[in-house]
Amino acid sequence: MWPIAFAVGVACLLLGLVISWIVAAIGAVLAVVFGFLWARDVTRDVRDEVPAIEPETRAVADQPSASTTRAVATPQPLPAYTRSRFLEASTLGVGAAIGAVVTLPVLGFTVLPSFTNLEEDEADLGPIENFPEGEYVIASFLANASAGEVSRRTTFVRNNGLTEGGEPSFTILYSRCVHLGCPVQPNGPIDEENTKEINGVELRPVLAQSFGCPCHGGLYDAEGNRQAGPPVRSLDRMTFSIRNGRLVLGELFAVGNVSGTGANATISRYPWSVPGTHVDGVEAWLYPIVPSQVTG
Amino acid sequence: MARDLGELNREEYANYKDDVKKEGKGFFPFAMWHDTVMSFVVVCVITALAAVWYFDADGTEPGLLGPWYTEPAEPGTTDFIPRPDWYFYFLFYLLRIFEWPETVFIATVGIPTLLLILLLGLPFYDRRRERRPLHRPVAMVAAVLTILSMAVLTWKGATAKEALGSELVLLVPTWAEEQGFADDPAAVTGAELFAQSGCMNCHVYLGEGNANLGAPDLSEIGRTNDAEYFVRYLTNPAAFGNNVMGSYSYLGQENLEALGAFLEASKGPSEDE
Amino acid sequence: MAAKSKRDQMIDMAVLAPLDWVDERTGAVRGTKWFLFRNVPRDISWMQTLGSAALTAFIVQTVTGAILAMYYKPSSEIDPLTGKPIAYSSIEAITNEITLGWLVRGTHRWGASVFIILLFLHMGRVFLFGAYKYPRELQWITGVLILVMGMLMGFTGYLLPWDQTAYWATVVGINLNGTAPFAGPWLAQFLASGPEIGSDTLPKWYALHMLLIPGALIALIFVHIYLVTRLGVSSPPWSKEAAGRERTAVEPTGARAGLVRGSGGD
Repeated sequence: MWPIAFAVGVACLLLGLVISWIVAAIGAVLAVVFGFLWARDVTRDVRDEVPAIEPETRAVADQPSASTTRAVATPQPLPAYTRSRFLEASTLGVGAAIGAVVTLPVLGFTVLPSFTNLEEDEADLGPIENFPEGEYVIASFLANASAGEVSRRTTFVRNNGLTEGGEPSFTILYSRCVHLGCPVQPNGPIDEENTKEINGVELRPVLAQSFGCPCHGGLYDAEGNRQAGPPVRSLDRMTFSIRNGRLVLGELFAVGNVSGTGANATISRYPWSVPGTHVDGVEAWLYPIVPSQVTG
Repeated sequence: MARDLGELNREEYANYKDDVKKEGKGFFPFAMWHDTVMSFVVVCVITALAAVWYFDADGTEPGLLGPWYTEPAEPGTTDFIPRPDWYFYFLFYLLRIFEWPETVFIATVGIPTLLLILLLGLPFYDRRRERRPLHRPVAMVAAVLTILSMAVLTWKGATAKEALGSELVLLVPTWAEEQGFADDPAAVTGAELFAQSGCMNCHVYLGEGNANLGAPDLSEIGRTNDAEYFVRYLTNPAAFGNNVMGSYSYLGQENLEALGAFLEASKGPSEDE
Repeated sequence: MAAKSKRDQMIDMAVLAPLDWVDERTGAVRGTKWFLFRNVPRDISWMQTLGSAALTAFIVQTVTGAILAMYYKPSSEIDPLTGKPIAYSSIEAITNEITLGWLVRGTHRWGASVFIILLFLHMGRVFLFGAYKYPRELQWITGVLILVMGMLMGFTGYLLPWDQTAYWATVVGINLNGTAPFAGPWLAQFLASGPEIGSDTLPKWYALHMLLIPGALIALIFVHIYLVTRLGVSSPPWSKEAAGRERTAVEPTGARAGLVRGSGGD
């Protein structure tokens, strides 16, 4: 009977795949149950009585087969790789796998987002008429509008007029000191009367061509080059573009040195890295790879 | 009888356990009594500090123990001088000592890492069995030097002052009175410019400003030179051998003359005080 | 054995029986008794109280910190109602409005300083006594790690009010770490959650301050206290009755002089 029932089950399963899944499920159950019963019947002669063997411990398993006292002849000598060793190894292995599955994603989640989830908007500072030529304006804006005030950045912007090739030139210095990140002050009085604030961008003209950091006395000249004190490189700058007559800021980069001035300056540009890290000279070898080189 | 260090140590420890068993006193109540009293003192001190701090201050107005909080964080400020909590002052002041760009990382990570390695490894490089302080000269001298230098660095970090343009400007009336130029509008303007142009990031004037960068104290500079000299100096410091200051000619002739008047009037606190 | 008085029987039922019930199943009562009534050297004094005082300060910090966590909001977004960052507003509320908030916050803030002072004093005392030598090396090492963790707690906690002091001290602190060779810039970017402090920084530092570093601290403190209980407190080394002092043979004098070979009579 069993083979017939098994065949019926298989047929139902195949039919059900076409007609309806309930039929298929019933067929699967029939096939499994009667298939099992059929197999049990068929193998009845082949299945032996299970011989009484002493429980396998490590000591028993690792010894050669001469130690067993069973009358029934073992078909082959006990293999060197015993069951207990397999169980030990697989317990540790599966444990390690569990550990990995739990901790690796968590570790990745802890560490990686600081390097991968980086968004920055381009900041629109307004019409370039707001930036008189040759003078610095303190411009503060939100680097990431969705993050809000926590992403506010301040830069010192100077309109340099046109380069020799006729392109507009701006010097945009980042206000964080490159010694340890203190806020740098412009060395001169701020023109409070001509201060503007539009759409979260604040513009304050200042009569200054040098900058000083109060923390440890760092002094920068009009191009942001270090003049005195502990800063390890020139002030960081930002890239920019002019769109529809408006000054739009791009990304931050580090500066080793600036030679020349204003529109004709030559700027040695490096990928941005944390204040206090050298970008050129011997000490740059201390920082061979910095995050911005990898994350862009 | 040469016995090795491990054996001597183990024997001493066995004696110790023996002595404690035979002659020791119970942790409770003898030692625990001391612990409890001391803990009570600690809790009282903490509460007292909290109370004094709260009742003496008011919002951002500081009291004896500082304000409740300062202004909300402003990432875009140009008007603030960072400070860590007091127990980091010794590291903070180290940064001032290592003021050359090439030496920055010594103060930021070099020295602290070295100190930590020395601390952690102490039981491994001091293997002598001697514990009495008077018989451990190297240890005691090292300890005293460390404590003294950390104390000095912490104190110097606590008393370090810097120049913040917006705060210094408020001192101008005091300066005017002390130096006697209150009736000279050019000098007053010059004083305000002096405060706002970062001069005191390097110079000291009447007790304010930064002293450790090698720039001279300008409180009495008017005794040696006149306004016209100062205008020439500020226009081109390099001509006078000064390669650290840049030119301040960008301030404009009128402002430079005001600065000159101010510096000339700075002859030191008035004699009729 | 005299029959127990009625009062003793009542104490037995009310107090001792439950304790025995627990002790049979857990061993907790006998463990506590061992901890409390173990012997310590007879010459220890007030100098040895600095460690437990530091522990008290730590407990104060944990308790006040846990309660402050119920009212503090770790977000740097601007609260539309107050126009200030949400974390800052929650600190203002704790200090000004919430009942006894000022006391709990003040206790937590000054408890931190007291905790660190006590750690340094305790370390100095241990150094003076040479109590970092055999067999207490691991105690010293865990102790130094506790000191480092304590200062990191101060560093991470300092950012939480999100005022100017907090923000800029943290900027400089992160950049200080950034100057370490090779790994520095990466560590700085991890700490700041980006090239600079952004909106993810405060929650990360809150998690460090509330969960990760306290977890490490508590584990270290456990090991440290286990060790001091197991190895014993050391006597002042200059003490005449120091436990573990050199054993010298006692030479009898007077009537017993001469009875022990090698001892002189007087």
